[in-house]
Amino acid sequence: MARLVFLCDSERCIECNACVTACKNEHEVPWGINRRRVVTINDGRPGERSISMACMHCTDAPCAAVCPVSCFYGTEDQLVLHDKDLCIGCGYCFYACPFGAPQYPRVGNFGGRGRMDKCTYCAGGPQQDNTPSEYVQYGSNRIAEGKLPLCAEMCSTKALLAGDQAIIADIYRERVQKRGFGSGAWGWRTAYRTTLEV
Amino acid sequence: MANDGKPVAARRGMLGLLGAAAAAAPAAAIDPNGNRGDLPNRPESEAEKRRPRYRETDHVRAFYRTNRS
Repeated sequence: MARLVFLCDSERCIECNACVTACKNEHEVPWGINRRRVVTINDGRPGERSISMACMHCTDAPCAAVCPVSCFYGTEDQLVLHDKDLCIGCGYCFYACPFGAPQYPRVGNFGGRGRMDKCTYCAGGPQQDNTPSEYVQYGSNRIAEGKLPLCAEMCSTKALLAGDQAIIADIYRERVQKRGFGSGAWGWRTAYRTTLEV
Repeated sequence: MANDGKPVAARRGMLGLLGAAAAAAPAAAIDPNGNRGDLPNRPESEAEKRRPRYRETDHVRAFYRTNRS
């Protein structure tokens, strides 16, 4: 059984934000929310690195652990998806997530925040695949079409990888063996409780 | 050309169409509050929700192949 993961090769990321734009456009994400964003460390100084970041679809996801209404669920290929019909917008998942992935689109009367929105790994949600209802709540479902998340497929420097963990680890290992260095699989220890041995 | 008014009216008509398209566009976007609007609820069963979604298609294999170089 495949275990779907993201890996950002920070030696290759050039902070172009194409992944961010592709995601927003593919799912028509409203103003004020980014399901993916690029974070730059040591900006303008030696050792500058950029990392493209979204929901990592963690093993034993902390967002699911703290959700009082159990709106998160895991698929057999280990994606962490959520049900917007159950979400009450309490905000616990936002505080629990080590990657700051869940976003709240709006603040309404009495602090009501609608339903949380997060990366779906382009796999939609608990509505029938590729229906208008699924699209309007969760965005497009590329995985049902036999594709991978658009952010990874759009990456011009091939920094952002998505797919089966075993294959992604192999690709990264080959790169490091070829170029002789790497910053490691950022976030893998936190998200997947594993590191990438090279 | 500017005096007969027809080209001006044609241009304004085009702008009107653009405005209508812009107004219609958000209807297709994700609902900011996570609602479905008038769209029917078509929930998956518990088994369907958790089924594996990933398939290693030719498209996916091409992605892996191009990332190896």
